[in-house]
Amino acid sequence: MNLGQAIRLRDATLLPSRRDEDWRWTDLRGLLRTIPEPSLALDPESIGPGPFDGVAGEVLVVANGAGPEAVEVEAGGDRTLVLRQVSRGDGAHACRLRIRVGAGARLTLLESHEGGGSGLSLLGVELDLGEGAACERLAVCDLDPDAVAVAELDVRLSPGARFAQTLLTTGSRRQRLETRVSHPGQGAEARLDGAYLLSGRRHADLTSSVRHEGPDGRTDQLARGIVDDQARAVFQGRIVVQEGADGTDARMAHNALILSDRAEVDARPELEIYADDVACAHGATVGALDDEVLFYMRQRGLPEREARILLAASFLGEVLDRVESPAASGRLRDWLAARLGAA
Amino acid sequence: MAAVKDTVEQVAGLEKYEHGFVTEIEQEFAPKGLDRDTVAFISRKKEEPDWMLAWRLEAFERWSAMESPDWARVSFPPIDYQDATYYAAPKAKDGPASLDEVDPELLKTYEKLGIPLREQEVLAGVTGAPRYAVDAVFDSVSVVTTFKKELAEAGVIFCSMSEAVREHPELVRKYLGSVVPVTDNFFACLNSAVFSDGSFVYVPPGVRCPMELSTYFRINAAGSGQFERTLIIADKGAYVSYLEGCTAPMRDENQLHAAVVELVALEDAEIKYSTVQNWYPGDPETGKGGIYNFVTKRADCRGDRSRVSWTQVETGSAITWKYPSCVLRGRESVGEFYSIAITNGRQQADTGTKMIHLGAGSRSTIISKGISAGKSQNSYRGLVQIMPNADHARNFTQCDSLLIGKACAAHTVPYIEARNGACTFEHEATTTRLSEDQLFYARQRGLSEEEAVQLLVNGFVRDVLQELPMEFAVEAQKLVAISLEGSVG
Repeated sequence: MNLGQAIRLRDATLLPSRRDEDWRWTDLRGLLRTIPEPSLALDPESIGPGPFDGVAGEVLVVANGAGPEAVEVEAGGDRTLVLRQVSRGDGAHACRLRIRVGAGARLTLLESHEGGGSGLSLLGVELDLGEGAACERLAVCDLDPDAVAVAELDVRLSPGARFAQTLLTTGSRRQRLETRVSHPGQGAEARLDGAYLLSGRRHADLTSSVRHEGPDGRTDQLARGIVDDQARAVFQGRIVVQEGADGTDARMAHNALILSDRAEVDARPELEIYADDVACAHGATVGALDDEVLFYMRQRGLPEREARILLAASFLGEVLDRVESPAASGRLRDWLAARLGAA
Repeated sequence: MAAVKDTVEQVAGLEKYEHGFVTEIEQEFAPKGLDRDTVAFISRKKEEPDWMLAWRLEAFERWSAMESPDWARVSFPPIDYQDATYYAAPKAKDGPASLDEVDPELLKTYEKLGIPLREQEVLAGVTGAPRYAVDAVFDSVSVVTTFKKELAEAGVIFCSMSEAVREHPELVRKYLGSVVPVTDNFFACLNSAVFSDGSFVYVPPGVRCPMELSTYFRINAAGSGQFERTLIIADKGAYVSYLEGCTAPMRDENQLHAAVVELVALEDAEIKYSTVQNWYPGDPETGKGGIYNFVTKRADCRGDRSRVSWTQVETGSAITWKYPSCVLRGRESVGEFYSIAITNGRQQADTGTKMIHLGAGSRSTIISKGISAGKSQNSYRGLVQIMPNADHARNFTQCDSLLIGKACAAHTVPYIEARNGACTFEHEATTTRLSEDQLFYARQRGLSEEEAVQLLVNGFVRDVLQELPMEFAVEAQKLVAISLEGSVG
């Protein structure tokens, strides 16, 4: 089972399937009988505006899998990168990108996943954070309803480093955002947040695994989402605390609202603990909008539609409250408000 | 505090595993190995009708084509299924007609285990003390079932599975395998082929079973496994509470215990099933020996407003692989799972529950407390599934893990699948060690470290202990202390 290899070798039998425990709710092999032809080249000039246009920063474009291979932020630097992954057409492509952030440097990574057509795409990013470095990754996904897209991020933290992310997605035919963090502890911190808003027959999968390998590390995770119609959301979060990683403090929460009888939310919050001096907790809830709250709001004169949007906005808004970058925070709020209004 | 003091005294006066003795008794065995002949041998020994043999043989064929599951977080060398005996029974002298004819060695065994087999002994307490009917299963056969007559007067059938196959075939045929299908999983399928004894309970409509029913499982013979099969049916509006206990001798070899328990609750019926599992856990230092406890337990809440509650205290076994489940088919049916799983030494446990919500308004509660000590591995694995028709279904899950010591591990793997727009699902889990502050406080009040740990552990598992019938709760509390013995410092 290896998606990159499946695309490269055009061998659909290598696609992850429901028999792979970590992919049981995001079955690609059952979905795709064959791997599509390789994608045609896409002119980066032709892709139009992106969601982070106007935010000061360097723009990198990955167009149908073609883009830069490595980016380096020198020690002590402070940069904002806008990374646009744009796919068009019905082909398949994969691409890898390496980002190194030097000791003590700061990086704000503004990521957008756009288009996708009816093709298959894989974006693999490796992110190395040097000692005391910090990176905040903010990603919005606006994919076409027929796209099959997987984005994987491998983060390697050094002692004292800090990684924070907020992923926002409306899903696609099948979409997975996977984040794997190798966490050395020793003052390093990770925040892995996400929000999904799914309707129609869309699917989104937020999967993460954090491996605490040394003492005194922190991980904090908040994922929230709303599913309607026949949409399906998947949340898988694994926190591993290895032997010797004492003093680890790890918290995970996943809350979902399910608005339709044909929608589905699947969740697996997992703890794997091999050290005893730890504080680890996870919480997961799935439920409907509170009828009493709706009633209260309507009684105060709000139309039902507006009341629902307000409730949804406040529910997902708590994820956005944790975004640190002031420049991007407003963009994410606008992005979400626009989608809530349309929902 | 009295309980704690009592516990401490108990611990001081006990061996590490008090049930590790072997009963020297003449026994009869099936030839070693497993094939169609073994299955036929067991069926013949039990004087079963043809349909039962056919059922077993079909299961055997299916099992032969299956593979041992490997998804649980446990590791053990492959089991050689040909290197075991699938039937072991104390040699019967034409079957005891009364307790007086039961082999005295057997009676002594149960006396030593503290299991009341003589009805008068049970009665010899204070008037009004709760009474228990016992079905005692020794290796592959049920040696005695008490209080049968009194239960029969209330209309309750309580007997061994073998007897039920002969005496109540219409009930057995109707319900056997209807909750856990023959091919449900590898171990359940093996059990279906070679199951020996277990209990059969039928409570007729509207009857509240007049006393607690219990089964006591004892593995004695070497080189054998135990494959009991239990079937409990609570007809409309009936109520029954059933307790299960188990022990085995200390041996260097691993012995397989692959049981299947099926519960059927019809309309408005309620079944309460409690287990105190104390199989030999193996040598705590080397991990040698101990029971492999690979058990399939499932309840079918078939009727509207039916209710099933599983309560388990798991302290023994080298490896536990067990997920007592509820299929909540009836409207407003209720499933409950209360569990304490303790692992010490080199024990491995992968246990939890499944709650499948099919009926509207069905509710389930899961409270799981895992305690790991020594070099053990303790996993909670659970599934809560809310299907599209289960409007207003609710689940509450709480799994807490406690770690004692640096070399043990605790894992939580809950699966949640919600497919209904009007369901409510809440899950929370924590993993911590014993609080230094609380330990300090207890020690400052004059408790030794061991006592302080026991006090805190008892507090940690209290939610579950409260669900046990009283006598069992006291027993379980002691067991918790004994299981954790030597884990401090």
